[in-house]
Amino acid sequence: MTQIRLERLSKRFGATLALRDFSLDIEESEFLVLLGPSGCGKTTCLRTLAGLEQPDSGRILLGERDITGLEPRQRDMAMVFQSYALYPHLNVFENIAFPLLVRKLEAPEADRRVREAAARLDLAGLLERRPRELSGGQRQRVALARAIVRRPNAFLFDEPLSNLDAKLRVDMRAELKRLQHELGVTSLYVTHDQAEAMTLGRRLAVMKDGVLAQVGPPEEVYSRPANQFVAGFLGSPAMNFLAGRVDGGARRFVSGALAVPLTAEHLERLGDGAPVTLGVRPENVEVERQSGDGWLPGRVWVSESMGNENLLVVEAGEYRVRCRTAPEMRLEFEAPVWIRFRPDRLHFFDTSSGRALWP
Amino acid sequence: MNKLGKLGGTAALAVAVLATLLPLYWLATLSLKREVDQFAVPPLWVSFQPTWAHYSDIFVNRNFGRYLWNSAAAASVSTLLALAMGTAAAYSLARRPRPGLAFWILSTRMFPPVVSIVPLFLMLRWAGLLDSIAALMLLYTAFNLPFVVWMMRGFFQELPPDLEEAAMMDGQTRLGALWRVVLPLVRPALAATAAFCLVIAWNEFLFALIVAQTDQAMTLPVGIAGRVTQYEIKWGAMSAAGVVAMLPVFLFAALMQKHMVRGLSLGAVKG
Amino acid sequence: MTARRSEAGWLAWTAPALLVLGALSIYPLLFAVEISLRTAGGYGLDHFRRLAADRLFLVSLGQTLLYTAAALALEFALGLALALLVNREFRLRRLVRAVLLIPMLLPPVVVAVLWRLILNPEFGVLNGTLRGWGLETRGLTWVAAENTALLSVILVDVWQWTPFLFLLLLAGLQGLPVEPFEAAVVDGASRWQVFRRLTLPMLRPVIAIAVLLRGMDLLRVFDQIFILTQGGPGFATETVTLYIYRTAFRFHNFGYAAAMSFVLLAATTTVARAFLRLLRQQPA
Repeated sequence: MTQIRLERLSKRFGATLALRDFSLDIEESEFLVLLGPSGCGKTTCLRTLAGLEQPDSGRILLGERDITGLEPRQRDMAMVFQSYALYPHLNVFENIAFPLLVRKLEAPEADRRVREAAARLDLAGLLERRPRELSGGQRQRVALARAIVRRPNAFLFDEPLSNLDAKLRVDMRAELKRLQHELGVTSLYVTHDQAEAMTLGRRLAVMKDGVLAQVGPPEEVYSRPANQFVAGFLGSPAMNFLAGRVDGGARRFVSGALAVPLTAEHLERLGDGAPVTLGVRPENVEVERQSGDGWLPGRVWVSESMGNENLLVVEAGEYRVRCRTAPEMRLEFEAPVWIRFRPDRLHFFDTSSGRALWP
Repeated sequence: MNKLGKLGGTAALAVAVLATLLPLYWLATLSLKREVDQFAVPPLWVSFQPTWAHYSDIFVNRNFGRYLWNSAAAASVSTLLALAMGTAAAYSLARRPRPGLAFWILSTRMFPPVVSIVPLFLMLRWAGLLDSIAALMLLYTAFNLPFVVWMMRGFFQELPPDLEEAAMMDGQTRLGALWRVVLPLVRPALAATAAFCLVIAWNEFLFALIVAQTDQAMTLPVGIAGRVTQYEIKWGAMSAAGVVAMLPVFLFAALMQKHMVRGLSLGAVKG
Repeated sequence: MTARRSEAGWLAWTAPALLVLGALSIYPLLFAVEISLRTAGGYGLDHFRRLAADRLFLVSLGQTLLYTAAALALEFALGLALALLVNREFRLRRLVRAVLLIPMLLPPVVVAVLWRLILNPEFGVLNGTLRGWGLETRGLTWVAAENTALLSVILVDVWQWTPFLFLLLLAGLQGLPVEPFEAAVVDGASRWQVFRRLTLPMLRPVIAIAVLLRGMDLLRVFDQIFILTQGGPGFATETVTLYIYRTAFRFHNFGYAAAMSFVLLAATTTVARAFLRLLRQQPA
């Protein structure tokens, strides 16, 4: 249970640069989620921390110790693999006991710890079974039990829930969060699923192309994204983006046929004539059947009823804007509607660099 | 993996490679050395005057051309026959499994060849087929059939029947579907299996020894063995003959290496 | 197409193979049974009775088993070591593998001739090299001496057939899933612990097949012993197959030879069956 520091890690695989000068701090006992699209380097980062890959440059610090050169078995970390990586020829008990066995722990003590871990993950009745006789969820719990049976320096999770079906995934998510809280072990959790990212971690780190895009508490990363990539990656349906220009004279943002009024503060921060991209999340797009002052006209392109809400795509000008509305608002194809972006929930990004300008 | 371990491993592999190649190299040098150099002490590895005398000797004086031809004929014809019959049977067993039949076919590989040599000898003598290459072609076909069936059945089982069924919907007969659709897909498997059959037939000794009574039907292994008596070996002739017997195998290994390894390992791992 | 017609159709595909095997593999077996039971006055178990008292036969059987056990143990150990070494990633790996496979592809007769030349006590390159290093070789006659003949023959077998085990074990190793091994090192296992607790147990089925296949071939060994020693000196390297051949084609005692070959067949099948049963009992 110590702080982990990844300092300026770089790793190349052939022609691809998986990690570029990557740095990240994980606080003691923290549950940090590393999120990013496929190929962004997050799994490489995790495996480098585990010692399964060696970085080309950079350091890894565990507390005060530099562990960069150490072999995996010397780092005392526990890893939960995406495909669970259970030992096929051992039964559940022996799988969980393996880390203790290789450390030559006394048999009675090992037995006690294995049963304790198994009980915690509801595996008590399955100890004699082989992995091939277990369901996906059960295998995953065995992998978890194997990780928690010792008190390692850190837990490393490599997309452990991605092979489970949807309902099981949601249940396991909650269990995982509870488990980590009880054990208090420093944890790095890699995933490409945003729901996991938002709900599991105390902090969330978003990664792209081997670099850290943003790190912070989930709510902060969600509501104050540092750049357009993070803004578009988090949130489902994704944020709407409209590229355009600031029209200082008319105090508005113009994009094609659409115009959105701007406040004085907006103008001051953004600058007159600046090429900016407006971002607005679907939940912040208001939809009405009749027009209002400043509302934009459009037609319903697609309407999906989710039960608890409706997801609309509205064609306004040359854009298709994604919106979320109350379930009562049922609309047919081509129905005329009016939309408005909530003025207090607008995001602005520099069009060329993607950097966030507002908020 | 620490540095010392890696070094040790590489050294061990180097030793293994040397242990494999040195004797073969030695044989090649023997075949090219003049008699006086063959018996030199200490042995000459590189510095000797090469000569082709032994090679011309075995082909001109000792009829090895005939043996070579016999070996090649027996190996290739038997391979073709075994492939044709074995693949047909394997396909049938893959698509319409008959565990009993399959077991019988595959179990014939388990018989020690020596059990059959007495009856086969008597049968061939009765049929007047002793000392004929045709006899060897037949015997080697029977010899290789179980292997062909075993390998090809495995490969056919891996292939989903969808493709042949699509071909038959399009108007092909079962045989046509096999010929046009399935066989091209298992070409590497066929190549690997054929390579093995050829090697096995080429190297075979016991049956060839029984069948061959004169030079007429003698294969290379028997021709070589015949020259080896308790008392004297003509070193030059023997080593040249040995090289000649080994060369086709080398060629094959080089060409088919990838296929052979993949084929044998797949067959074995599936057991 | 009725069901019965299609069944017949499928059987037709197997017919040629069945015909050939029936005539050339199965019929000879039955024929051999008949020959083995033929005695001076009709049919009887005379040959088998004689066999039970034949000391030479028992000696040859014992030597065959010794040969098999020794060669198998050596070939397995070396083959496993080579497979482990070649299983890592390194340049020239394909080439090394190809080279190491060569011996098992060569005609056993040629291999035997080659080693006979190498092991020749006066002019062979082995003794020649030893002498060049200053060692005394007068006592080292390899295949010509009773106490070293069996050893020499075994070593030749090891040289030729280790690649077979190497190939099978390598295939087995390469078929193992990677992730449990990664999990094991993260869990703290040392290289030796990984080998003992993961590699070996997971390889068990492949090891079993390899040992079974090679073991059965070893019990029937003939070619190289025929060339290297002809069973000598004396009886030192006489294996069962050699004895059978000699009985049939030197002494023209076909009936007795056939009886012996059945005992060999029975022995091999029993060993194979026992082995497989042992395998199935242990949890896979």
